[in-house]
Amino acid sequence: MPVLARIFEAAGMSTVTVTNMPFWSDRVGAPRTLAVEFPFGHILGQAHNPELQRRVILQALAVLEGSACPGAIVHFQEPWPEPLEAARRASHPETPPPIAAHMGRHIGKLLMGMRRGG
Amino acid sequence: MEVDSFRYLSPLIKRYYQLSQIRKELPIPFAPLRKPLPQCRFGLVTSGGLYHKGHERPFDEVRERREPSWGDPSYRTLPVDMDPAEVGVSHLHINARDALADMNILLPIQRFQEIVAEGRVGSLARHAYSFMGYQGFPSDLSGWRGVHGPAVRDALLAEQVDCVLLSTA
Repeated sequence: MPVLARIFEAAGMSTVTVTNMPFWSDRVGAPRTLAVEFPFGHILGQAHNPELQRRVILQALAVLEGSACPGAIVHFQEPWPEPLEAARRASHPETPPPIAAHMGRHIGKLLMGMRRGG
Repeated sequence: MEVDSFRYLSPLIKRYYQLSQIRKELPIPFAPLRKPLPQCRFGLVTSGGLYHKGHERPFDEVRERREPSWGDPSYRTLPVDMDPAEVGVSHLHINARDALADMNILLPIQRFQEIVAEGRVGSLARHAYSFMGYQGFPSDLSGWRGVHGPAVRDALLAEQVDCVLLSTA
């Protein structure tokens, strides 16, 4: 998403990205970010909890209004309102994605290459 | 509290991402807000894999199952006045159950309509846009950068959008 935000911003539109991975906002350089520690698939809050969704959106709007320079990352201070195990279950599909079966091998190979490359 | 980007990911994936060689392109593009929010038109963009059922195809899960290291780079267009029951989700990397019950957790169309009605923001563009966040492994963003990102940019500009709220999956 930070890549898309940069494309829109370069065309003159002001953007704010809401994400649970501010790591990528920082690495790629998103113009403005609101980081939420919410499960995947639930970035704006719980289903049928419009109050929480609204608080996230209003803070995203505040980030949009309040950022004077590029690269701002603001951290939403409310934790996910469910225990971690329930949140992890909500975060992942019931059937692992097709890449999951290959990921360990891929990552192992890539990490080896990175180490060799220094 | 600082958000932990890896709270819902395995230690192996965390390690891999942390070692990824990404060179940040500087300067970061920046378009300062040109007018007060109550005068701004907003566009909504998600990478949640949403699509308008019965009007557009889902993202290409068939090819991803055949080629697991590939992810569909295209995008879908969702009219903001569509029936929420017509929203589909095709994203093999998230649990879509809750988003199918309430699309606002990935694409907050109804919440924005309320905020527009309150006068906090000016208006909402007639269309929202959805990508599917998995872009292969290792990730290949060339389709987003070169083709589909610019196409959505042009569609947003054609609707005279001032501000865009992007939400990840």
